[in-house]
Amino acid sequence: MTGLDDPILPTSIAWGLLAAFSVLWVVLGWWLGRRNKTAEDHMLAGRNVGLALATATAMATWVTANTTMTAPQLALQLGVWGMLGYSLGALGLILFAPLARRIRELMPRGFTSGDFIRLRFGTFTWRVFLVVSLIYAFGWLVSMAMAGGVLINALAGIDYRVGMTVILTVCVVYTLLGGLRAVIGTDFIQTIIIIGGAAFIAWLTIDKVGFEAIHFNLMEERPELLNLLFPAAIMFLFNNLLFGVGEIFHSNVWWSRAFAFGRNVGFRAYLFGGLLWLPIPIVAGFIALATPALGINVPAADMVGPLVAAEVLGLTGAIVVFIVVFAALASSLDSLLAATSDLVTRDIYRGHIRPQASEQHQFHATKVIVVLLGLLTWLAASYRGEIPIVGSLAELLYFTGAFVASAIWPIVAGLYWQKANPQGAAWSMILGSGIGLASYFLIGFYVAALVGAAVSLAVMVLTTWLMPRPFDWGRLARSDAEVPA
Amino acid sequence: MRLIRPLLPFLFWLPLALSAQPAFDAPPERSTDGGFTLSWEAEDAVVLERATGPDHEDVRIVYEGGDASTVVSGLPDGEYRFRLRAADADTWADEATVVVEHHSLARAFGFFAVGAVVFLVLIGAILRGRPRD
Repeated sequence: MTGLDDPILPTSIAWGLLAAFSVLWVVLGWWLGRRNKTAEDHMLAGRNVGLALATATAMATWVTANTTMTAPQLALQLGVWGMLGYSLGALGLILFAPLARRIRELMPRGFTSGDFIRLRFGTFTWRVFLVVSLIYAFGWLVSMAMAGGVLINALAGIDYRVGMTVILTVCVVYTLLGGLRAVIGTDFIQTIIIIGGAAFIAWLTIDKVGFEAIHFNLMEERPELLNLLFPAAIMFLFNNLLFGVGEIFHSNVWWSRAFAFGRNVGFRAYLFGGLLWLPIPIVAGFIALATPALGINVPAADMVGPLVAAEVLGLTGAIVVFIVVFAALASSLDSLLAATSDLVTRDIYRGHIRPQASEQHQFHATKVIVVLLGLLTWLAASYRGEIPIVGSLAELLYFTGAFVASAIWPIVAGLYWQKANPQGAAWSMILGSGIGLASYFLIGFYVAALVGAAVSLAVMVLTTWLMPRPFDWGRLARSDAEVPA
Repeated sequence: MRLIRPLLPFLFWLPLALSAQPAFDAPPERSTDGGFTLSWEAEDAVVLERATGPDHEDVRIVYEGGDASTVVSGLPDGEYRFRLRAADADTWADEATVVVEHHSLARAFGFFAVGAVVFLVLIGAILRGRPRD
């Protein structure tokens, strides 16, 4: 039986691949970002990204550590429903398509999701939203840094902290050099690598192991994974869907792209991006079901994807997996670093600390914040397995699920309900997050987002119905570049 | 005595090293989703077995090798007994029992229904899609 004591990828090859792709991403970042002169160039790539690049960045950013590492983990823990349920995350991108169009119409000069919440609901709700948004962004950043370390450890036996540090450093450096323009440009190349690599791995897995062997061994050793009435997996289905919707609807990663894409591009880009993403978690997750047939030991649930792929496909497979997951990680880590630094610069630094900061000053502040975020992420990811919620990728991600799902309704009501109540929006996030978190600890990681979204909906509907507050939509376009006094 | 003195620390540690048997590291007692991670402390390769009865009649080897943990998943309701020994030893060094009791289907479909309602309301809100002004 193979396991971590027997890594497939020789250390020298792993270091060679790491070095080659690190140089590629950093040089591309520098080259793509060399014409950035202002904060708007750096943060929103000139607001004129076309359909091909826009679709690629939507899809590549959504193929993350979550997809390539957590989808197999969920297939291993929750079976067929875990794998299929994960692919429902595509609905987050697809449903954001009409929202992107509306955001662009309402706020043609907007910068961040925080801008919208501040103008739509006022300062108190804005601050609650910033807390929710930053907790999620930080959780996602840490999970991806962890995924980088786990990947390198699982495939090459290189120490987890060393691998995590290298991947995080590379992403910080090229995001720093190129801003959103570099992020979107590298995403395009990374998309091609991800789609090609995932298709190659799936084809080889089915060819080498076969459905019959997979089914027989699952029935013998892990029968619940094939049970369509697996209770935890049934609870997980809508939880994952709402988690994905919450992640995309509230996060500045997706809002900054809605502002950056050219006119009439956002709707189609998010729709096509979602449809392209749909099969990726099924392909990535499926290989985990081959674990019993292959007799592989999985020491930690989040290692299963790379371990199985490397075992089935040998050295070539290990190299392909390494490149695909590195591309997937980099495409998301850079996006999140860029979007979170924008949010911190606009909404915290300019919004709360220095309202009079000039364009040039913000440009520099964004870069300092990218470095600080990188350092904080490194510190938290160093404690994988030592802090309860930083136990495994899925546990950490679904911990943030309660927060993000509770932000769905303030965003949807804010964009479409003219009489949505600002206090209601704040309390829907506070109560949704609180009760969602309680369910995470009392019931399981697979219900936190579902409970958060349901509580948030109830609060938002009740407060809008009982205390309606009419809003003038024109205010958003008139004042979307201002900051609070 | 001068010759023996440098060897004293080794002589002191020798019995401890000989008695270092593999041992489970805080195994879980219950699981509501049929899965958990078992980890252990061991100096060398181990053999981990699983059975459902106290007599270990239906025993099967879960893992044999040098890793220090394994992820168990997909187990139906039941009481599972795990035992651990060094790969080169004849006697079992440690045992752990985990009870798997899945959530009830009523509870599972209750959450499913709540999720479906939230999702349908969301679709409705977006499809209506126009501000009412």
